[in-house]
Amino acid sequence: MKKVFLFIGLFFALNATSQSNYEKAMQQAFALWDEGKSTEASQLFERIAAAEKENWLPSFYAATIEILGSFGIKDETILNAKLTKAQEFLDEASSISENNPEIIITQALLNTAYIAFDGQRYGMTMSGKNSQLYAKALQIAPKNPRVILGNAEWNMGAAKFFGQSTKPFCDEIKRAIKIGKEEKNELQFYPKFQLKRAEGVLKKCEE
Amino acid sequence: MRHILFFLFAILQFSTVAQTTINGIVTDSKNHPIVGANIYLDGTYDGTTSNDEGKFSFSTSQKGLQSLVVSYLSYETFTKTAEVSSLKNLTIKLKDDINSLDAVVINAGTFEANEKAKVTVLKPLDIVTTASAAGDFLGALQTLPGTSAVAEDGRLFVRGGEAEETQIFIDGIRVFTPYTPTANNIPTRGRYSPFLFKGITFSTGGYSAEYGQALSSVLLLNTIDEPDQEKTEVSFMTVGLGVGNTQIWGKNSLSINTSYVNLAPYLAAFPDRNSWSKPFQSGSGELIYRHTFQDDSMLKMYGAFSYSDFDVIQEDINFVEGFRFGLQNRNFYLNSSYKNNLGNNWKIETGLSFTNDNSTLKIIDDLVGSNENSMHFKLKLRKQITNRFKFTLGSEYFITNFNENYTPINNQKFDYGFNNQLSATFVETDVFFSKNLAAKIGIRAENSHLLNEFTLSPRASISYKSGKNSQFSLAYGQFYQQPKNEYLKFSQQFSSENTSHLIANFQYSQQNEIFRIEAYFKDYRNLVKFDTEMPNFSSNFNNDGVGFAKGIDVFWRQNQKIKNTDYWISYSFLDTERDYRNYPIAARPNFASKHNFSIVAKHWIENLKSQVGFTYSFASGRSYTNPNETGFLNNETNNYNSLSLNWAYLIDQQKILYFSVNNALGTKNVFGYNYKNTPDSNGFYDRQAIIPNADSFFFVGFFWTISDDKKSNQLNNL
Repeated sequence: MKKVFLFIGLFFALNATSQSNYEKAMQQAFALWDEGKSTEASQLFERIAAAEKENWLPSFYAATIEILGSFGIKDETILNAKLTKAQEFLDEASSISENNPEIIITQALLNTAYIAFDGQRYGMTMSGKNSQLYAKALQIAPKNPRVILGNAEWNMGAAKFFGQSTKPFCDEIKRAIKIGKEEKNELQFYPKFQLKRAEGVLKKCEE
Repeated sequence: MRHILFFLFAILQFSTVAQTTINGIVTDSKNHPIVGANIYLDGTYDGTTSNDEGKFSFSTSQKGLQSLVVSYLSYETFTKTAEVSSLKNLTIKLKDDINSLDAVVINAGTFEANEKAKVTVLKPLDIVTTASAAGDFLGALQTLPGTSAVAEDGRLFVRGGEAEETQIFIDGIRVFTPYTPTANNIPTRGRYSPFLFKGITFSTGGYSAEYGQALSSVLLLNTIDEPDQEKTEVSFMTVGLGVGNTQIWGKNSLSINTSYVNLAPYLAAFPDRNSWSKPFQSGSGELIYRHTFQDDSMLKMYGAFSYSDFDVIQEDINFVEGFRFGLQNRNFYLNSSYKNNLGNNWKIETGLSFTNDNSTLKIIDDLVGSNENSMHFKLKLRKQITNRFKFTLGSEYFITNFNENYTPINNQKFDYGFNNQLSATFVETDVFFSKNLAAKIGIRAENSHLLNEFTLSPRASISYKSGKNSQFSLAYGQFYQQPKNEYLKFSQQFSSENTSHLIANFQYSQQNEIFRIEAYFKDYRNLVKFDTEMPNFSSNFNNDGVGFAKGIDVFWRQNQKIKNTDYWISYSFLDTERDYRNYPIAARPNFASKHNFSIVAKHWIENLKSQVGFTYSFASGRSYTNPNETGFLNNETNNYNSLSLNWAYLIDQQKILYFSVNNALGTKNVFGYNYKNTPDSNGFYDRQAIIPNADSFFFVGFFWTISDDKKSNQLNNL
């Protein structure tokens, strides 16, 4: 019995150290991100991804940081380097977790970064792709608040461009906020619903 | 027991404390420190970021052999596997990533219209929203330098070359009959709809050893891999209608396009100079099937069928009752291609195309029937040895079976034709010496069974990046092409025609701006000569023709510097002479004009949800022979001018109204003159101007897309 106990203890200790290594590193990466040190945060996620070959989250976050950081960049060389790297991380993440709605909508966000940079060049092929990606994500996870919000925002952009009412999408955003508030994720470090951002989008929608 | 437990945990704790320090410095190839590089032991959490001096230091509890990884944007990732204890005071030089956007590009002679192209000359949308193009990709390419405006023909004439000297490839596989048949003086169009293609590469010289049987130019069209979504597209135009549908299931997709064009209503409203007994009509269908396999390999099958006919009487100075020309043509094209990664950095691409083209021509009262069956098979392997060294090798086989029969009025039928088989092999390497210097060297061997001839064509190009935004390129190549069908059907005692290209290019590009200037020299040898008015059975043929073409091409494009406006300007200077066909002396051929200039501009008007654009083209006069004076090609026509306008209005997300007019000012352009065969009583040869059938052409279309997302439209089809 004692031996078993010892074994469990040992196992637990080992497991706990490895678990806490992951937790510690992830928490540190999020902290860096919060402080605005996005390069360091992205690099830490990259290192975690290299150690955690079965976990899609670190690559997912490394990609997300590169994508968000590429909006507003004027130098095409840097933009392309960042988004190419982000694409590698996303491919990595989706090879670990197939048909993951979070990864699918992040792919759409990556495409949007290209479109935002040069709509004439990328709009033609990528907007079709994006519509398809959101449709796919909605099909897999119709009640995922991030998917609902992303889809509504994408549709809002198009409606605004054509001078159409954005009203139908405001309700969708409200629905996303409602679900987002109640959402509880089992998986540690799973993407969270950005309530403040959603409220901002809703405000824009109702303008 | 408790003690033992404590001891065990203590050891466990202690072992993590026994650490090794790893340190060093990260620099670029010029020993400048790299700040912010990511340094870590692969598969562990141990790592850090290099500081302001490029230095790094971190400790690890790992033992034994470990892989140290150093990565940074725009550099190749560095990996070193060694004993942890030996990883001290390292100096790590990162190599530039040659795939980065600011790396040198081998581009002498080449224009790319491709989303992923490093330098954008044309955007995919430009192909179809250029005012003069009227939805034809050939039209858009004619606004680029190196092409000559031959408005009554419509085909691509590149750098003093005839239209036949340009070959067109879809997914690397040859297209044998790319142009729709037309009557004299009516410009042709490409057979294939532009929205099938995601990328277009147009090379005006010095191209890769992968492509042969083209003396002047190659046009490479790549079809889209996967359609975005299921949709139905409907278009109503002043000249006809079209319906398309795309279906996607699993890893498969199928697209169908059909269109019917009939010029009768348009000609009734705006009669032209001809009398049509049967106005032009054409029906066509395209079918594309794509399948992606589990291992990401891809199969594409593309089939197109078209039928056209017309019957027209055109005014002709030598025929009092006019010159009758009637045509019935059916064309079938099948193109299938397959690509796969074989692993170990090997890639395979293979494909097959088959064409059947059948025409019946009525020329005055004579009948000409022709039938062509052609096939192309190609296999290409590509190996990436390192990021900086790649090689390609491949083999291809062409078969053409051409038969024609001629039935003069009240006479019996003549049959003639030829069987042509040609095999080719090519090898090519791409070498990056650094981020700033790259070369492509290749050789192509061809063996023609018909001409019983073996040819070798070396090709080389080198590019050097001289500054952040500028680069120089040089290219040289030998090019062989068999004489065209027009000659081969009467005689096969030929050798291949030959040209060599020498090209020097300078390019300056930065965000939304590109300037390029290119000088070239082409030396033509072994051109076909004959001694009759037109090639026929009684002609004596030889290969003694020669010629040259030299010139300068200039291109300037700017996007969005003027708000919501893109524009580009092209200028070509061409000096060329040929002694070929039945020319008595070397002279500038009729299709070549010395100066070509064009400007294309597009402006997006937010409030009107409209894109408006114009294209202005200018070409200096073209040569013609005036028999009333001595000499050959002794005169020049007036300059050519044309202003085209277009307007696309987005009614809503899925409905577009499109309006365009070619030669809006109705300029009377003259392409040349037809002289009477016999002089009048004063010994004077009367003449008739060769002019377009109509000065201006209007087009109105309504395009409607029906898809689930209610957002797609056919803007890209226009």
